Amino acid sequence: MTNHWIDLKNADVILAMGSNPASNHPISMKWIMRAREKGAKLICVDPRFTQTAAKADLYAPLRSGTDIAFLGGMINYILEKDLYFKDYVVNYTNASFLVNPDYKGPADLDGLFSGYNAEKRNYDKKTWSFQLDENGIALKDPTLQNPNCVFQLLKKHYSRYNVDKVVDITGTPKDKLLAVYELFGSTGKPDRAGTECYAMGWTQHTVGTQNIRTMTIIQQLLGNMGIAGGGINAMRGEANVQGSTDYGLLFHILPGYNPTPNASLVDLATYNEKNTPKTKEPRSVNWWSNRPKYIASYLKAVYGTAATKENDFGYSWLPKIDVGQNASWLMIFDKMLKGDFEGFFAWGQNPACSGANSNKTRQAMTKLKWLVNVNLFDNETGSFWRGPGMNPKEIQTEVFMLPCCSSMEKQGSIANSGRWAQWRYKAVEPIGQSMPDAEIINELFFKVKELYKKEGGAYPDPIVNLAWEYGEKDAAGKVKHVDVHAIAKEINGYWLEDVYDNKVSPPKLIGKKGDLVTSFPSLQADGTTSCGNWIYCNSYILKDGKEVNMMARRGKDDPTGLGLYAGWAWAWPVNRRIIYNRASVDLQGQPLDPKRPLVKWDAGKKAWIGDVPDGPAPPMGTDGKFPFIMKPDGVASIFGPGLAEGPFPEHYEALECPVEANAMSKQRVNPTIKIFGDKMDAFASCDARYPFVGTTYRVSEHWQTGCMTRHCSWLLEMQPQNFVEMSLELAKDLKVGNGETVIVSSARGEVKAVAVVSERFKPFKIASSTVHQVGLPWHFGWQFPEDGSGYDSANLLTPNVGDANTMIPESKAFMVNVRKA
Amino acid sequence: MANETKNRKGMMVTPELCIGCRACQVACKSWNQLPGTKTTNNGTYQNPPDLNSTAFNLIRYNEVPGQENPVRWLFVSRRCMHCEEAGCMTICPTGAIYRTADGAVAVNRDKCIGCKLCTNACPFDVPRYDAENKMTKCHQCSDRTAAGMLPACVKTCPTGALKYGDRDEMIKTAKSDGFKTIYGEQDLSGLGTVYAFKDEPKLYGMKENPTIPGSVVFWHTYLKPLSFIGLGGVVAAAAIHYLAIGPHKEKEEV
Amino acid sequence: MAEIVRKSSVDEILNHWILAGSCILLMITGFAFLFHMEAVASVFGGFNTMKEVHNWGGVVFTLSMLYSMRHYLKDAFEYDADDAQWFKVAGGYLSHKVKVPPMGKYNPGQKLYYLAVVGAGIAIALSGFAIWFMKDNGTIMLLAHLVHNVAFCIFVLAVPVHIYLGTLANPGTFKLMVSGTLPLEEAKRRYPKWMKAAGKM
Repeated sequence: MTNHWIDLKNADVILAMGSNPASNHPISMKWIMRAREKGAKLICVDPRFTQTAAKADLYAPLRSGTDIAFLGGMINYILEKDLYFKDYVVNYTNASFLVNPDYKGPADLDGLFSGYNAEKRNYDKKTWSFQLDENGIALKDPTLQNPNCVFQLLKKHYSRYNVDKVVDITGTPKDKLLAVYELFGSTGKPDRAGTECYAMGWTQHTVGTQNIRTMTIIQQLLGNMGIAGGGINAMRGEANVQGSTDYGLLFHILPGYNPTPNASLVDLATYNEKNTPKTKEPRSVNWWSNRPKYIASYLKAVYGTAATKENDFGYSWLPKIDVGQNASWLMIFDKMLKGDFEGFFAWGQNPACSGANSNKTRQAMTKLKWLVNVNLFDNETGSFWRGPGMNPKEIQTEVFMLPCCSSMEKQGSIANSGRWAQWRYKAVEPIGQSMPDAEIINELFFKVKELYKKEGGAYPDPIVNLAWEYGEKDAAGKVKHVDVHAIAKEINGYWLEDVYDNKVSPPKLIGKKGDLVTSFPSLQADGTTSCGNWIYCNSYILKDGKEVNMMARRGKDDPTGLGLYAGWAWAWPVNRRIIYNRASVDLQGQPLDPKRPLVKWDAGKKAWIGDVPDGPAPPMGTDGKFPFIMKPDGVASIFGPGLAEGPFPEHYEALECPVEANAMSKQRVNPTIKIFGDKMDAFASCDARYPFVGTTYRVSEHWQTGCMTRHCSWLLEMQPQNFVEMSLELAKDLKVGNGETVIVSSARGEVKAVAVVSERFKPFKIASSTVHQVGLPWHFGWQFPEDGSGYDSANLLTPNVGDANTMIPESKAFMVNVRKA
Repeated sequence: MANETKNRKGMMVTPELCIGCRACQVACKSWNQLPGTKTTNNGTYQNPPDLNSTAFNLIRYNEVPGQENPVRWLFVSRRCMHCEEAGCMTICPTGAIYRTADGAVAVNRDKCIGCKLCTNACPFDVPRYDAENKMTKCHQCSDRTAAGMLPACVKTCPTGALKYGDRDEMIKTAKSDGFKTIYGEQDLSGLGTVYAFKDEPKLYGMKENPTIPGSVVFWHTYLKPLSFIGLGGVVAAAAIHYLAIGPHKEKEEV
Repeated sequence: MAEIVRKSSVDEILNHWILAGSCILLMITGFAFLFHMEAVASVFGGFNTMKEVHNWGGVVFTLSMLYSMRHYLKDAFEYDADDAQWFKVAGGYLSHKVKVPPMGKYNPGQKLYYLAVVGAGIAIALSGFAIWFMKDNGTIMLLAHLVHNVAFCIFVLAVPVHIYLGTLANPGTFKLMVSGTLPLEEAKRRYPKWMKAAGKM
């Protein structure tokens, strides 16, 4: 979230698209309903009439996988009707930047951008660049008239998304479509705030990243970024998924969103050189220019005293990926199926049910020598060898179950979607032999380290050099029990030496050896500071000589009335509650929306009032800095050259779709996606065997694969069985009655489900044909309830094809059939 | 009496604010230590299908035709209404069903004899009997409210669709918030669970003009006093007869 | 020694007292239910056991009532001119000066009382069993509840009258209902038509 949960109450218009907050994020709905009580309007755009739709002031259906067409039409509408916030667009975005004249877009190239390589299925992004002046600064046209400026290119690109075309693609009734455009477009006024809430409904597509990109363009045009009641808000489906991303759970990032080094970055200097963005724009903060400090401090936290200047702070010990290697989920299981792995830790997850094309995932695990399942309960993953279609006699995988304890049985921090790190306390003792994850890791670490020490092994250095000062040690040097506060403090970082500011005379002590670092501007690239995760620096500080856990704060003051609650817990970065908040003011630093003054420049005191601003520099109109400090140019990117598919989002159909052709261009599917081609990777588009669009989602009663919730009888009672929702029209065609068990099948598998026939589903009119859509939750699995009455996972149906940037599988739009059981 | 009614606490249900998350159903089970039961999907989200001895409240999912959209999906909390004129309490032969100081209708398990008369006297089909043949139902978490806490369902409701507090005040607030119809404001001398609606309550499946069965009213109003007065009257008449006229005397043999 | 006449057989006496005892027990427990008398309930060990006492007391009452028909039912339906005259003088209970016509074994007040007991008894028994066993039928439950209470009112009015007339108002009656016998002379005096029919007068 660029903003945070409570901030939803500040919005005038809330667009819930790609999400179902009422069901999946009920607490967000608390704030949305608060906003509505004050007169805000809730728009819900969803293929099905959800609980959120039931509360919405305006509901518009759309066929799964057509969000870019829908939103592209909105961009066109905003531009045509002049609804955009001109000052914001000119000053705070790259709309005025002049683009390389060689750049060509889908309007010119029938769905492709310049630089496409059909063989490699990727782009040479050379032409997706800006024209620079002699100082290397982008050329601009503040009048936005230059035909090569971003704004004009944007206009040209989205003029193709006219209302009739959009309606033909999305199946949305025209009046509803226009009503959504008009209502959300109304937030382009400075005193109107519009926010967007998305979740997996946007990400789980082959165009997932571009779905979100399209919305960022809208929010930039309307001036809704960086303001209270605005922003683009990714509603995280798990309590701590924000934290896990912040801490580098994904293969391509280290903690704090630093890129994972690849094999070509042979030393730290090369890594820094390649990964540190540069700008010649003197007024851009370009915060990422600090990356060398964060990496050095990170390495010091990881390897401690073993990390020295001489050995590049142990940079060589960090695991490297191959150049261009994608090591994401779909790839892991593809390689596992090919026998490339010996073992697998399924830690706090249930791939047998959560992985798209679960049959492939389940088969992949049969190729393993060993599998360690760390979970609260045994699940479909731990028991995969005795699952449906498996012959235990033929499976050699040795499975170990390590019971871990639940979040209530340990203390520590979690980071919510609003980037708040909140400290939580242990409520009850762990049950039986279960242990907190950290304790399990501690046990494993010392055992592995001991083996490396004893046997040497291929490359023991990364393990034996790890700093592990997490608590009292026994005689053998093993940490007896992990002190989570020690970890939290390591994450925040320490001064490792007495550090002086030598610019003043006499040099002033800015950091005393052994003290906690106060915040990340203090971090050093020379190894004199440590910090496990720079964005969390300032979360555990020294105040008046005492160590203060900022995450444990419970202050309830809200002086602005905007619900910032700056004294409650702690938000990264440096307790900033709404990021890019300097975009909420005019060039003189005065709030664009006087009703919602998020930050304000006090010219007398030469200081900002309100939320923690994006840097202390004065306003942009004086001698200050640009507001989008994380962007090299200092402004937000309407033209975004970083993504795989192109600088402007373009509509492509889902890999499995019900239409023969993309109404926008000859490119039916995203030209840059990786398509797996083995026998377990079946796809079927426009195939009479699978005539209906399928989608998956969650219900409030269950969580993810249901491993925890299916074991809770209170929740299972409310949603006991896998179900498939469909329209009355489709049910009539199929002669299926409400409550009857049916079989839903795709090119990859089939699953039983109870038919829930409802007016909440309606067939779509797509151009001249009718498209039926069905939907299933993916919370169920064969292993529990033990009688199998819950049926199996809907992910047996979903395709293992991913977004071109993130490889998130396309489980929101695929093709299925439904037949009577 | 009048004073008591004035301070009566109650539950305000605002279906317009309900998002159907059912945290209330879970909170109720959690606080009241009620087990989950084995159910099946019957083609609706509503589960269990109706109140039972382990489900004191539930969300009804009503699909009704809409004007703006093909359908409206209405979420309505179903639970005991805590009637001021409570049929169950009236008919209960042991006083097991009683009114708490806060105005809730609660059950004393020890006194319940499992006669099920309350089931039939309730206009809302609320009382359910558990495995030990004791009547169970929502008691507005009287054990919590007595300790100054909110009922579990209210405490957990994220949107304020369930509120607990001074009944009159909540009704006043709801009206000033534009809710034209307060279901239960007057019914049965005022329900303890009132609903705020902008539409017709009927649309939400609310029972129109709930009444206690006539026989129960007749019995309560006439028969019950009659039996008591009758006994007294007969005894008094006998006493007067004995004193005024005296016992039958054996006449002398003629 | 004066000749003794047996008016009531041993089994009749026994049954009468079983009927009377169960009836009073049912009335006490019934009242306790009606007015939530915890003190009374506690005598039985609480409402739950009192319910059992009431239910099984009802079974005893019902059987005993049915058995009593053997003794009284035939007589209860036979009325003659003297009976009509008896009503006119109100059985002599309102004035000792009026002339009460000669009576048979039972006076019409007693006969009507019996019919009331049987009528209300059947009603109260049937409705009682309905409440006991037909809990799932709402209509029957509510009807039974009403009938049970209407019948109860009849008992409440009738039983105390019977007790009064059988004790204080008619000295010797209670003794008769215990022993079942009375001297012939007394029988001739009190039940002349019965004695005549028996050939003793």
